[in-house]
Amino acid sequence: MPRGVDRVLKTLQEIVGRDYASNEEAILMPYSFDLTWNEPRMPDYVVMPKTVEEVQRVLSFANRERIPVVPYVSSTNIGGLCIPEEGGIVLDLRRMNRIIKIDTETHYAVIEPGVSHAQFSRELKKVGFEFGWGVHPASASVLAMTLQHGIGHLNGRFGVNSQFISSMEVVLPTGEVCKIGSCAYSDEWHSLLPLPMLAGLFIGWLGTTGVVTKLGVWITRIRPYKDVLTIAAEDAESMTKYMVMWRDLELCDEITAVSWWLAQIPIPYPYQEKPPDAPEWFSYTVISGWSEEELEYKRKMWKEVVAKARQKGCKLIDFEYPPEAKRGRTELPSRIVGSTKNYSKSCGGGLAWPGTFTPAKNWPILYEKMKEIYIKHGLSPATRFTDYRGAHYGMWRVMTPFDKRNPEAVWHARQAMREVVEVGVKAGMIPYKPPVDYWNVMNAHADPGWLMLLCKIKDCLDPNHIMNPGKLGIR
Amino acid sequence: MALPLSKDVARKYPELASLYDHLMMCTHCGNCRYFYEYRPDVNLSAPNCLSGEYFYFDSYTASRGKNAVLKGVLSGRIPFDEKAAHVIFACTTCMACREMCETDVKDWLNRLFETARREAWKNNIGIPAGIKKWSEHIKVEHNPYLEKHADRFAWLPADIRNSLPKKAEYVYFVGCTASYRQKNIALATVELFRKLGIDFTIAVDGDGEWCCGSPALRTGQWDTAKELAEHNAQVLDKYGDKVITTCAGCFRTLIQDYQKEAPEGYKDVLGIDFNMPVIHTMQLLAELIDKGEVEFQELPEFAGKVFVYHDPCHLGRHVGVYDEPRKVLNSFKGIKVVEAERSRQWSWCCGAGGGVRSGFPDFSLWASKVRLEEFKELGAEIVTSACPFCWRNLDDASKMFSFNLPVYDLAEIAAKAVVKKK
Repeated sequence: MPRGVDRVLKTLQEIVGRDYASNEEAILMPYSFDLTWNEPRMPDYVVMPKTVEEVQRVLSFANRERIPVVPYVSSTNIGGLCIPEEGGIVLDLRRMNRIIKIDTETHYAVIEPGVSHAQFSRELKKVGFEFGWGVHPASASVLAMTLQHGIGHLNGRFGVNSQFISSMEVVLPTGEVCKIGSCAYSDEWHSLLPLPMLAGLFIGWLGTTGVVTKLGVWITRIRPYKDVLTIAAEDAESMTKYMVMWRDLELCDEITAVSWWLAQIPIPYPYQEKPPDAPEWFSYTVISGWSEEELEYKRKMWKEVVAKARQKGCKLIDFEYPPEAKRGRTELPSRIVGSTKNYSKSCGGGLAWPGTFTPAKNWPILYEKMKEIYIKHGLSPATRFTDYRGAHYGMWRVMTPFDKRNPEAVWHARQAMREVVEVGVKAGMIPYKPPVDYWNVMNAHADPGWLMLLCKIKDCLDPNHIMNPGKLGIR
Repeated sequence: MALPLSKDVARKYPELASLYDHLMMCTHCGNCRYFYEYRPDVNLSAPNCLSGEYFYFDSYTASRGKNAVLKGVLSGRIPFDEKAAHVIFACTTCMACREMCETDVKDWLNRLFETARREAWKNNIGIPAGIKKWSEHIKVEHNPYLEKHADRFAWLPADIRNSLPKKAEYVYFVGCTASYRQKNIALATVELFRKLGIDFTIAVDGDGEWCCGSPALRTGQWDTAKELAEHNAQVLDKYGDKVITTCAGCFRTLIQDYQKEAPEGYKDVLGIDFNMPVIHTMQLLAELIDKGEVEFQELPEFAGKVFVYHDPCHLGRHVGVYDEPRKVLNSFKGIKVVEAERSRQWSWCCGAGGGVRSGFPDFSLWASKVRLEEFKELGAEIVTSACPFCWRNLDDASKMFSFNLPVYDLAEIAAKAVVKKK
C-alpha cells in the first residue's frame, strides 16, 4: 500500500529517477525498525540518490515542503538512530559508494557514505593500509560509523574513529553544499587543522544537522607483526586497574575486557549465573610492530605490567584465548567479531545497549550497580570495557539481547537500560549513538548552557527542523 | 520494540505464521548483505544479493530485507500486497545471504521465502504472470516448458531408447530442462554413460519420469509439487537402485526435498517415502577419476583455452558439492583453469532459479550478464557449469549481450574426451 502524497513522490522520482524512490509500505518496512527496542516508525518515502546534486535537490525540496529527512545507509547501529520518528523521507545513501581516493603518500582516503567496511578494507589491504575496524557487519557504512564516534581496533593507539576524520563535504538541510577542512581550499583532504573545527557541527549529531556526502579519513599502514595477549581477573576492579596500568605505557593497539557473560557465545538469555569457579573478567590486548623484536619488547613490558598489577593486589588469572578468537582479533574486519551470533544468535532477534564513554575509574562501580539492575530484569550483564587513547576513559557498554516476540521482554530490556543510564550519567557516563530515551535522561542532567547552544546551532543549520527530527531530545 | 505475531494475520497466513519463531531469530543485523572474508590469503568483499543489486531498496536486499517484509506482514504492520509479493518472488533463493548469516534464522531462510510464496498462491497475491503461465500446464503435462509429456524423450535416439534395460543400477533422471531445451546435455550424458559402461536406464515409459517438482516447490506451488513427487517416488525405484542427475535443481530436490524434513527438505509437505541414493553425474565422474578408472584425452578444439567453472546454487550452496566438478574440470587435458573470486560458497547466482527466469526475465538475464562480465574480466574463454538451467541462462546472456563466451556443461566435454581405463 502506498503512503505519503503522490505529488511528493513524483518530485522525488524526478530528482533521483523513477526506480530510486518509493512510497510502498513493503519497500518502507525495513527502514522502520532496527535491532533495538525503539518503537518502529514508518517513513513515507525512501529515496536513493546517486550524486551530491541529487542530495542537494532532495534536501532543498524537503526543506521547502517541511518534510523530515533521515540519512541512512545500512542501519546497523543499535541506537534506533535511523528510525524516522516523524515519518518523512529516508535518504538511503547506499548507491553513493565510491572510494574516491586512497592517498598512500599522505595517508588519507576519501569515501562516500555507501562505502562498506568490507569494500574499504579490501581496497586498503591491497595497498598495505588499514582503518579502525569495529564490531559490526561488513556491510556497515564506514562514513556513518566514523561520524557517530564508532570505535575501531586501533582505539588504544589513536582513539575512536571520529578522531581519524580529516575533511568532509556536507549538504546542509537547506540544500547548500560545503567543504570543511583542507578540502575547502584544494583537492587535498588531509586535515581539519589549523582551521576552525567546523566539522564538529556534523560529527556526533546523528544526522540532525546535514548530510555528509564525502569524508576524508586518515589511514594507517598495516604492521606486519601482531599478537594477542590475554589475562583474566576475578573482579572488575582488578581488571580495570590492570588495564589502566597497561594503557599508561601506550604500547597497545587495543585493550579490552569482557565480563563472563559477554565471553559466552551467544550471551546467555535470559540471565544465567556464572559458574562459581569461572573468572568474572577476561581481557585481550592487541600489540603490533614492525619487527619481531618490537613485538617481543611489548610482550616483555606487558608481562612486567601484569606482575606489577599482581603486586598491587589485582586478582589476575592466566588464560589463553582460543585460536579462533585470536585470529578474529588479528584478521580484521572479521566475520567472527562482527557477527551478531556473538550476541543474540537465538534469543528472539533483539539487541541493544547502553554504550557509553565513561571514566575508567568509575567502570567497576557502575558495573556492580548495573549488574543489580540487569539481574533484576532477567538480563545478563554482558559488559565490555575498552580504554581509548587520551585520558583514561573509554567504552563501558552492555550488549543486551532480548526477545522481540514478547512485549514484556522488550519492556524489561528497555527499562533496564534506562535505569543504567540514569545511574551512569551522574558518574560521568556519556552514551554514544544514543536512542531518544537516553537523550531524555541525559538532557535532564545537562548544563543548560550546553542545551541552549545545541538548540541554537540546530536552529541555525536546520531552520525548519527537517533533519532526523527528535533524535537529540531537544526539538 | 516488540513485533508480536498478529492473531488476525496468523489466521490468514497460517503456514507462514507457523514459522514466526524462526523468522524472529533474524536480528536485522545486515551480515547477510555482503560477501566478506578476510584471512592472510583471502581478501574477499563483494555484493552477494542479486535482487538487492537489481532492485536497490533494502526490502530486496538479502534475507534481512525480505525478513523485514515478512515481519511487517506477520505483525500486522503492513499488508501482504502485490509489492510485498514482488519482493518475495523476485529472489532466486540462491541462498548467498544464508552463507553470511550467523543467527538461528539461517537454516530456515529458504523455507521462509518459499512458504511466503505459497501463501501468495493461496491468497492470489502478486503471482508473477510468467510463473502463472506454466502453473496449470505442469499439472497436466508434468513440465513447466509448455511442452507435451509425450515429447519428453523425443531427444533420445530410438536405438538407444530401445536398448535401455527395464531396470539398472542407475536411473538417469533427465529433468525438464535437459529433456525439452538443453537436449545437448541429455544426449551428452547418455553418451558419457555408454562410454563409461555405466549400467543405467531412463524412466522413459508413459508413467516414467515427471518433472521433479523443483519449479513448483521453489515458487510455492506445493500441491503441484506433491503430485509430481508422489509420482516420481513411486516409479523411480522400478527402474533402478540409484538415481543420477545432471541437473543441479533435480539433484537438490531429489536428495533434499524428497528425503529431508524441514528446514532443509520438504518431506513433511510431500509426504513421500523416498530413500533412493541420489548422486550428481559430477560425483560419479570424480569417484571414477579417484579410482583411476577414467581419464580424458586432449580435445583439439579446447587446446590452450582458459576455462572457468560456475557453481550452480542447487549443487553448491544448497547441497555442498563444490570439489567434484572442479576435479572433473581439472582432469581435462591441455586446458587452463581459472577460478572466479566469487566461487564455491561465494558464487554469484546465474539468475535462473527460484522462478526468476520465468517471472522476471530481464532481471534473470541481467544476473547472468554480471556473472559473464566477471568471467570475461578474469580472462575466461569457456564457461562451464553442471546444471542445464544455469547453462541456459548463461548461454542466453552470452548471446544477448554479445560476450562471445561459449557455455558448456562439464558432462558435454567429459562425453567427448573420456577414456575408460578399466
